Amino acid sequence: MTIAAIREGIATNLRTISGLRVFEEIPDQVSPPAAIVQLNNVEYHQAFAGGLNIFRFTVRVIVGRAAERQAQRNLDLYAEPSGDSSVRSAIESNRTLSGACQDLIVESMPNIGSITVNENDYLAGEWTVTCYA
Amino acid sequence: MAKYVVTGNSVSLNGTDISASVARAELVITSTEVDVTDFASGGYTEVVGGLKSGSVSLDFHSDFGAGGLNTVLTEDLVGTIGTVVLITNNGTAAASETPSFTANVLINSVSPVSGAVGDLSTFSVTFPTSGEITKATA
Repeated sequence: MTIAAIREGIATNLRTISGLRVFEEIPDQVSPPAAIVQLNNVEYHQAFAGGLNIFRFTVRVIVGRAAERQAQRNLDLYAEPSGDSSVRSAIESNRTLSGACQDLIVESMPNIGSITVNENDYLAGEWTVTCYA
Repeated sequence: MAKYVVTGNSVSLNGTDISASVARAELVITSTEVDVTDFASGGYTEVVGGLKSGSVSLDFHSDFGAGGLNTVLTEDLVGTIGTVVLITNNGTAAASETPSFTANVLINSVSPVSGAVGDLSTFSVTFPTSGEITKATA
């Protein structure tokens, strides 16, 4: 169980969403819709003998230019609890990430807002993913 | 001599190491107080130690996987005596600075179903000890 394997597993699950470009590192250029998987924080020593660590990831999905109506509609689809474009459903489709972690949960979508990339404003949503490994 | 932060005490139950599913372990040894107050006690109560007893408290992470905690500590064990070995000071083997304590305990409860939606499944137990608690340093 490594951070890289968890990140890769989350990315693999996200790639089941048709048309969504997924990056495991922050890309130099963004071509929406695009998802970026970032490690947010780690809690060590949750059990004896290294039995459990908690890794929290932030998945940021950039859906399009901030002013585009279609971008807002796309964000609605990604935010749905279920469905073919649901970020939550995609990430939780394989909760052990094929052995990269013991379990995971998409806890919330705490932020929706604009993000500036290369001087362009994009609409983006953030999801919090907690991985137990 | 050194104080220590708990990161990895060792816990085994009936010979199986379950440390990786334990988040907290505590062994408490107490004695009863026997009142021996008399007219010569100068207005204060006097007590002496009576029978000793103990308890083992453990916080678990549920795990039904192969060899996981819930395959070792099953509901079938409730009402039976089990043997718990605790090794302190983040040790993995009994030694002078990582003594082990062995206790027979009455497994009086388990919680095979535990947890709220979205939470890690955990449960806690407090087992009373039965008989002598032994300490080993080697």
